[in-house]
This record gives sequence, C-alpha cells and structure tokens, in this order.
Amino acid sequence: MSETSTPAKTEQKKAINRLKSMYPLRNVVQQDYINTLQASNEGKPTVWAMLNYWEGDLPLKAMGLNIVYPENYSTLLASSGSAEPFLDASDSDGFPTHMCGYGRSTIGYSYRMMKENNGKIPPDAPLGGMAKPALLVGSGIICDARFKWFQALARYFDAPEWCLESPMMAVEEGTEPDLDSYQVKFLVKQLRDFIAFLEKLVGRKMDWAKLEELIDLTVQIHETTWQISEMRRSIPGPMHSVDFWSSMPPALFLAGDMKVSLKCYQDMLEEVKERVRNKEAAINYPERYRLIFAELPPWHSLKFFDKLAEMGWNFVMESFGYHPPRPIDVSKYSDPCEKLARLSRNFMFNIYSEAKQDGISNAVVETYLKMARDFKADGFFLHPLISCRAASCSLRSVQHFEMERLDVPSLWVEGDIIDKRVFNPQEVLARAEAFEQTMDHYRKVRKSKGLDW
Amino acid sequence: MVTAITKGLSLAHEIYADRGKRVRELRKAGKKALGYICLYPPVELITALGLVPFRIFGDMSEPITAADRVSTTVVCPFLRSIIDLGLKGKFNFLDGIIGAHTCDIGMTMIIAFRDSSIETPFTHFIDVPHTDQASAVDYFEGQLNSFKRHLEEFAGEKITDDKLKKAVELHNKQRKLVRDLYDLRKSDPPMLTSMENLEIMVSLFSLPVEEGNDLLEEVIREVKVRKVTPSKKKARLLVWGPVFDNTSLYELIENADANVVVDDTCVGTRAFWADVKPPYDLHSIAQRYLVDIKCPRTYRQSEPGEIKRDYDKDLDSRFNYIKKAVTDWHVNGIILQSVKYCDTHGYEVPNLRHYFDKLGIPNIYIEHDYSERSLAPIKTRIEAFVETLG
Amino acid sequence: MLKEVSRLFFAGIDIGSTMSKAVIVDAAGVMRAYVVGPTGAEHRRRANKVMEDVMQKAGIILDEVAYIISTGYGRVNVPFADKQVTELTCHARGVSALFPDVKTAIDIGGQDAKVLKIKNGKLIDFLTNEKCAAGTGRFLEVAAETLGLDLNEMGRISLQTNTPVKINSLCTIFAQQEIISRLSEGQPLPDILAGVYIAVTTRVVKLARQLKVEPPVVFTGGVAKNVGMVKAMETVLGMPVLVPEEPLITGALGAAILARDQAFRLVQDGRLEMKKKELSEAYIDFVEKDR
Repeated sequence: MSETSTPAKTEQKKAINRLKSMYPLRNVVQQDYINTLQASNEGKPTVWAMLNYWEGDLPLKAMGLNIVYPENYSTLLASSGSAEPFLDASDSDGFPTHMCGYGRSTIGYSYRMMKENNGKIPPDAPLGGMAKPALLVGSGIICDARFKWFQALARYFDAPEWCLESPMMAVEEGTEPDLDSYQVKFLVKQLRDFIAFLEKLVGRKMDWAKLEELIDLTVQIHETTWQISEMRRSIPGPMHSVDFWSSMPPALFLAGDMKVSLKCYQDMLEEVKERVRNKEAAINYPERYRLIFAELPPWHSLKFFDKLAEMGWNFVMESFGYHPPRPIDVSKYSDPCEKLARLSRNFMFNIYSEAKQDGISNAVVETYLKMARDFKADGFFLHPLISCRAASCSLRSVQHFEMERLDVPSLWVEGDIIDKRVFNPQEVLARAEAFEQTMDHYRKVRKSKGLDW
Repeated sequence: MVTAITKGLSLAHEIYADRGKRVRELRKAGKKALGYICLYPPVELITALGLVPFRIFGDMSEPITAADRVSTTVVCPFLRSIIDLGLKGKFNFLDGIIGAHTCDIGMTMIIAFRDSSIETPFTHFIDVPHTDQASAVDYFEGQLNSFKRHLEEFAGEKITDDKLKKAVELHNKQRKLVRDLYDLRKSDPPMLTSMENLEIMVSLFSLPVEEGNDLLEEVIREVKVRKVTPSKKKARLLVWGPVFDNTSLYELIENADANVVVDDTCVGTRAFWADVKPPYDLHSIAQRYLVDIKCPRTYRQSEPGEIKRDYDKDLDSRFNYIKKAVTDWHVNGIILQSVKYCDTHGYEVPNLRHYFDKLGIPNIYIEHDYSERSLAPIKTRIEAFVETLG
Repeated sequence: MLKEVSRLFFAGIDIGSTMSKAVIVDAAGVMRAYVVGPTGAEHRRRANKVMEDVMQKAGIILDEVAYIISTGYGRVNVPFADKQVTELTCHARGVSALFPDVKTAIDIGGQDAKVLKIKNGKLIDFLTNEKCAAGTGRFLEVAAETLGLDLNEMGRISLQTNTPVKINSLCTIFAQQEIISRLSEGQPLPDILAGVYIAVTTRVVKLARQLKVEPPVVFTGGVAKNVGMVKAMETVLGMPVLVPEEPLITGALGAAILARDQAFRLVQDGRLEMKKKELSEAYIDFVEKDR
C-alpha cells in the first residue's frame, strides 16, 4: 500500500474528479439567492432561517415565503474571501470575538446593512447579498447560538423571531418507550403554533395540500441522497467530500424548487452508480487512503483538499450534521404536522437505539463509528473549530472511540469555518505526511484483529 | 477540648471551604446524595425521596488535566472544569449525577461521564426545551415525570403527592429566607458583604434543605444585630452573569472600593427568586423552573407570536426585573461578567448593555476564563470602572 | 494664569511592566520634572529610585511633597504612596491636561494597549488588551529582532513608502515567519516595515472602534515616539492624531495631577491639614473652579 510512489506533480490534471451532477445542484442554491433578491425587490418578504432540519423550511415554503440561510451565506463569504469586513463590523459593535464565525458574519452583515448602508445591501456582498429580513426563524437544535444571535439582531431589525424547538438528548433517555407520545405531541403543537403565527404574519392561510406535497418531495429527496451515500461505500470512493459540501444544501436547506433538486439528485445517483460500475475514483490519483472528515469544513480553504488528493487521500464520507438520515415511513400518520415532526426529529434520533446497544451515550460518536465501519476508513481528519463549540466538542470523544473500538487513527487539525488566519496549511501538510505512517500501522493492527479493512 | 458549635456565618464559611463534608457525614449515616448541575433539575423531587441534592460546581484553582480526553479547549471553562473534576473521580463521593440540557456544553457533561470509565450508580439526563411556551412547559413536565420515575426506581419508593408538597414547601421556605437575606443589603452600607453572601449561597447548595433553612435563619439573626458592618462605599454594584461561584471574584470587586449589594447570577438570585406556585404538583414545578427562572439560555420574547419586534419593548420585557433590583437596592453601577466561550450570555451582552445605557446606569463587561490567574487584569479594569463612578 | 507660589508639590509614580516613570507637578498643576527608566524585577526598589531621581531633578525634598499617587501594573509596590489609582484613570487625566479637548486616547505599551474614552477631562469608558502581543509594542520588537534593525531606524525606513505589505498573521510568532517569507519573495523592506506598523495599528484600532473613535485623538505610549507608528495610526484611523512631546509619561503626569486634586479635596473636607502659609493662591483658585 505504502509502496505506491507519490504521483508526479508536474501534470496539469485536476486533483479532484468532480461529479458533473454537482454543478447544477450548486447552482440551485446560487439561483435561489438571486430569485429571493428579485422577489424582495418586488416587495415580497424574505425570511432568514437557520438550518432547522425541514421543521421550519417546509411550512415556510408551503406559505410561499422566500428563505435565505445566513449560515449558508456565511460559507459563501468565507469561500469568496469576503468575510473580513463583516467579522470586523461585528467585533466593533461589541459582540464577543469568540462567537461563531457564521454568527459574527451575519451580525456584521446586519450592522453594515442597517448602520452603514441605510438599510441597503452592502455593496461588497457576494451574489448580490441577502435581502433585509421580514422574519427570523431560529432553531434550538445543534447549538444555542442559532436562536441567540437572531435574538441579538433585534438591535438592527424589527423583524420578529420564532424559535423552533428540536429536542436533543442523551441516547438512554432518548430511547425511553413512552417518550414518543408526549414529545411528538409537543413538536406537533409547536408546529401548529408556528403555522398560526405565519398565517397572522403573512395574512393568508396555510396551503395544507402544498405542505403535504413538499413533505412527500422531501422524503423522495432524502431517500435519493441516502442512496447516494450508500453508493459511496464502494472502493475506490466515487464521490469526494468537496462535491458533497457543494451539493448538499438543496437537501439540507431545501433551497429552491424541490422538484428540480430531486431531479438533480437522481442524476447524481446515476452518475455515482456509473462510477461505481467503472470503479472510477473521486480523485485523479490512485486511492491510497480513505478518510472521513468531521465536522465542518474550512470553507475558506477548500482548495487544500487538492493537495491531499495529490497524495492519494480520498475523502469518502463526512460531516454527519449535513446528512439527512434515511427517511422513516410517515405515510401512516394523517396529520402533516406529525409527519413533519417525526421526520425532523429523526435527524437526531435515528441513531439512538444503535448507540444504546453499543453502550455509547454520545449519538455523534456512534454515527462516526458506523461511518468508519461502513466506509472502511483508514483515518479521520478531525477539524475542531475555534468558533464553534457544537461542531467541535464531540471530536475528542470521536477520536478516542475510533481508536479504542476500531483502531482507526485521527489527524487533529485546528481551524475555523470562516476565519482563515487560524488554519496553517503548510503545517498540516507536513503532519499529513507523517500521519500516513500512522494509518499504515493501524491497517496492520486492524487486520491482525480480524477486521476487514 | 470542647469548642462552641459553629453556626451562622462561621458555619457558612466552614462549609464553603469544604463543600462535600456534610454530604460525606450523611452518607456514612446511610443517606444518599445526588449531584446536579445548573438550576433546571428540580431539587424538590430529590428532597421528596429523602435524598440530598448537591449542586456541582467547578474549581477555579484546579488545573485541567483530564478534560482534554473528551472535550476541546474552546468550551465554557466552568463546565470544562466540572467535566475535568468528574473524570478525576472528584464526584465519586455522590451516589449519582443529574445532567440536563442547560446549554450546549452543559448537555455534554452527563454524556461525557457515561462514556468514560468513572463509576456512577445513577445518572439521568433531563431535556429542557428552549422556549417558555405552554407546549414547552407540558413537554418539560413529561421530562420531569420520566425523571421522577427513574428516581423512584433508584430510591425504591414512590414520591407521593404529600411528600412532594412537603418538599416544595421546604424549598419555597428557603427561597423566602434567601430573599429576606438579600433585603439586608438594601441598606447603606449593606449589612453583609457579597463574599459572605456567596459563602451562604454555596452552603445552601451543599446541605439538605432543612439544614439550609436553619443556617439561613441563624445567619439572618446574626447579621441583623451585628455591630461591625461592611464600610460605606460610593459604589453600590449589581453583578450579572453566569456561574460566579468563587469569593475571590467578589473580593476583587469589593477591594476596588465597591459594595456588591445584589446580583443576577445563578449562584444568587436566579436560583431563589421565584417560588413554586400552588398546586404543588409536577406541572407547577415545571412552570417555575422553565418559565420563572430568568436565564439567557431560555428564549423569551415580549409577546409570544408577536409579528413585529420592538427593540426597546423586547429589552424591557426581558430585563425589567434587573431594573427593579437596581431601584430596590439603590445600585449605581453594573458589572456584567461572563466566561469566555459562553454563547448564551455572550450574545446577550451588547443588547443588555444598551438597555443599561438607556437607563443611564454605568456598566462594564468583564470576560474571564474561570481561573485564578485571569484575575489580575480584571482587577485594574474593575478599579478603573469604580473610579469612573466617583 | 496661576502663579507659582509656595513650595508645595505633588507626585505621580507609574510602575509599568517594562518602564517606570515619575512626575512632579506644582500647586498650579504645572509639570516640574519627570524621570523614565526600565522597571526591572524589583518594583519597590525601582519605586524608591524613580522618586529620588525625580525629586532631585525638580530640586525638592520629600517633605515638600504633599501627596503621592501610584499607578501602573506595580502600583501596589509603592509603599510611600498615599493612594493607588489605575493607569486608565491616570492616563485620561494626564492626556486631558496636555490636550484639554481630547475625546479618545490610544495608548500602546510594551505589553498592552488601552483605548480611553474621555469627556471633559474625565474617563467615561475604556477597553484594554493585555492578552495578545500582536497589538502591542512587543510585536514591533519581534519584527525589529527578526530584521536586525533598531526600532527608530525601522520607523524612518517605513516612511519611504506608501504601499505597505499586508501582514495576515494573527499571532506574533507566525507574523515573524510571514516577514521572512515576504523578504525572500523580494518585497521591498520599507513596504514590509510599513506593513508591520499597519498590522499593529489595525489590531488596536479594532479595539478602539468598539468605543466609537471620536476626534481629537491622542496617541501615547513608548510606541507613539515612532514616526512609522504615528503614520500608520493616522492612516488606519483616517484622522490626524496628537502625540505629546513625551508620550511615555502621561500616566505619571495624570497621577501627579490627581494627587494635587485629591490633596486639595482633602483640605476642603478638613481631612488634610496644610499650614496657613501653604494655602496658596493656586489652592484658592482650585476651590473656585471646583465649585
């Protein structure tokens, strides 16, 4: 394995073999921003929403509202190198500097829009920017910042805020038999309250038929994306993490026209199946190592993965937080709110039973153990972020359990989602070379213990 | 040699120095004690079964050596300290630990303990919703029901309505006594220092409720008649923020020529200001904990489902209880303090300072990392702030 | 115009982490002498030494000093001080004495940086950075060491250009590497040096902007003596800055003036006795203004 010589770097070829079907999906999101801006210029209200695992997105879409996602927009700021003026603006308005990079960007954006540009979009905002919000939809899942920073935006906007509830629990309590009865009831009630609020805000009634249709489309989209993920078990890995990150927003944020997204994902499934048939890898170099990336990518430095690809590192799976789980069957429930509540809750809860069986209390850890087994990972690339606790706090446990249970080593690389000054690419590449030896060693260890990779 | 029985302020001082002492004594005598974090696990349920509730804090003077195995460094240092202490077995003198979804990192505590090698016979996690709507209270009640059943299994007996009622009455009594104690700092000068107050608060979290009530009654008696009081100082301050569990911080402020006369922290008023209202059942308990405790971790708005957010109205609806404290305790300056990496409080600070600015109350924001060595730079800033009040 | 009257003096001692300063003012609040020297490890001895030196320079003896205020990092180690006041309050007072209209004061020391908001001579708000070397004089020292240059030379050379190089590194150590990289890339030395000054200034101005920078802005601290820093500060702020002749002593000066004010207040309250002949016209004048 390690006897394969390093490919010559003189070739002009691209390091990562990108899927053709990725581009239209990336375009869905870009187009959505443009459409939303246009709609706002025509006087239609824009909603700023946090990732809410479809719980809020679907009612909003069913009401015909345009949604932009500041978390997603911040990644655009980062990857286009335009984040700094927004980060500085947030700092200058007294917000602590250790806060989430997405939060700082959004607060800075709001500050610059309202205090520096008279309510107009800052001229240097990429893709035309985000329109002024008429509603802020926060979410309690994943982390507290995602309802607190919208609350802080009250100093700039008079848009109301709604905080969606999504439970997150330890797996033992999360698998208690009677939990379902009152927890789902709670989620359904608060969804109804949310819909009543939207009706009052917008001045028209919910289109329940549309909501049912969108739920159905969501199930189809997620069934397709799940199948794509399953295909990625193949050796060599047919789809690289960078393609996933570029193409996942329509499934995660449900941006744009969902019928279009569904078709694009179906195309992607076909393309990936084709690659599997032809044993075509996602990198244009022989696959020497299969890596799993956790958790949030360095949006400001995605080109970095090219360098690793040149070394034969194929990133075959990633970021549990971005993967909708295989959709559960909700056809037996007649209430669309109940369907939605159960689908959304399943994002967190899908792995609880398995985790409990495995004696792991941290659902995130269990998810990654499963990933390592299913995708036959040689190593983990763990990327703790200085500004995100939620996406970083489990990584030490992941590191520990991957080693203890599966003899899979991890490379620990500190960085940030938005602020590129913390990430040192030269240093990481040097450590990556050394890490190859670690991965070689543990391959032998796993084999000696009877594991098949 | 026979010594006088320590009581009142001296007892509080003693307990503060060795918090676990009384629990260790009680366990030897056959009682059980359960540790818990933050304000959300309802202590009434624990007391109702004759168990001792023991609130867990970190330790500012203990270097972190074990937490890095389960946690990154850029997390709340208070909770990181708790996780560190737990992994080092420092909570093994308890019969169990109760965690809750208090905040992002608070949630990870019980999970970290369960996934480690420490032995805890009883652990439980309570999910706490993020909003205070009626549906959320019902959900929280469901969680408390689950907790209640688990406790009953552990204790081998049921919590009857009567036992629960008695427990609520005892804890409500404690809350009333604490409010009476705080009244003694309305005068100028206040009748006790904030360090003495903190020692008493911390003691209350380390004792069975009846013993805590006895302590409070004795302290109030002592303080009311004391001849030597804190000196009169120009600055009368309110301290706001998350866990502030060490006297060194209060001492630093008071040494800067200020009296801290009231607070809005969870080792202070947040824990004791609101009573459980009748009927003393699980629902009213859920209501008190989720709705009546004012902590930034809960999302509050001036009107649920409002279709426009008025900045000033929003701030006032959320924080006018602080305005009231400022008036009632004759406060002329506010120190907002928080630990680095705390999101729930960090995002609150700029708007809260706006609110105080608009009310004309001088204020300063201090961020520390919950360690003794972070105190020196804070000292100068606090002194300078107090100097601006003069 | 206050006349110089009886032999009545007031002292301010500023024991900083790198430098110690002492100032003597007279009853009219006019500075009579100052002394600056390295602090070293022994604060108490240093405090005694600067006090002796400054009294000698002013030609006075201790008996003639009516009130002493100590400030700075080592202010607790001045046993003969009558009072301790933070350097934040003292700087504000000192800067206002030199520039009565000042609204913002920026002080960059060897190991820290402070931004003060001042209104009518009083400190009303402030922010400090004492955690990160990147916004302090230390950054410049590291750069000077790396390039083998003297700090003053660095300043002069940096003025030769108007195209500073952008230094990105957040951390002083990484910045060192960056400077070396730029040199090896062939970037001109003046551009790199200008970039270093911009980097330090940007860090400090970021802090300042949280308090909303209002002119007139006064720039103090040892670093303010450097022409390159002053240019960078004016460029980044987008407004002119005022630099006192001796930018290191504003803290001690403020302490001395506060000592005078405090002493006079105590006399007013009857808590400090001054013999009748010492009740100078200056004191009477002070009482008038204070009413």
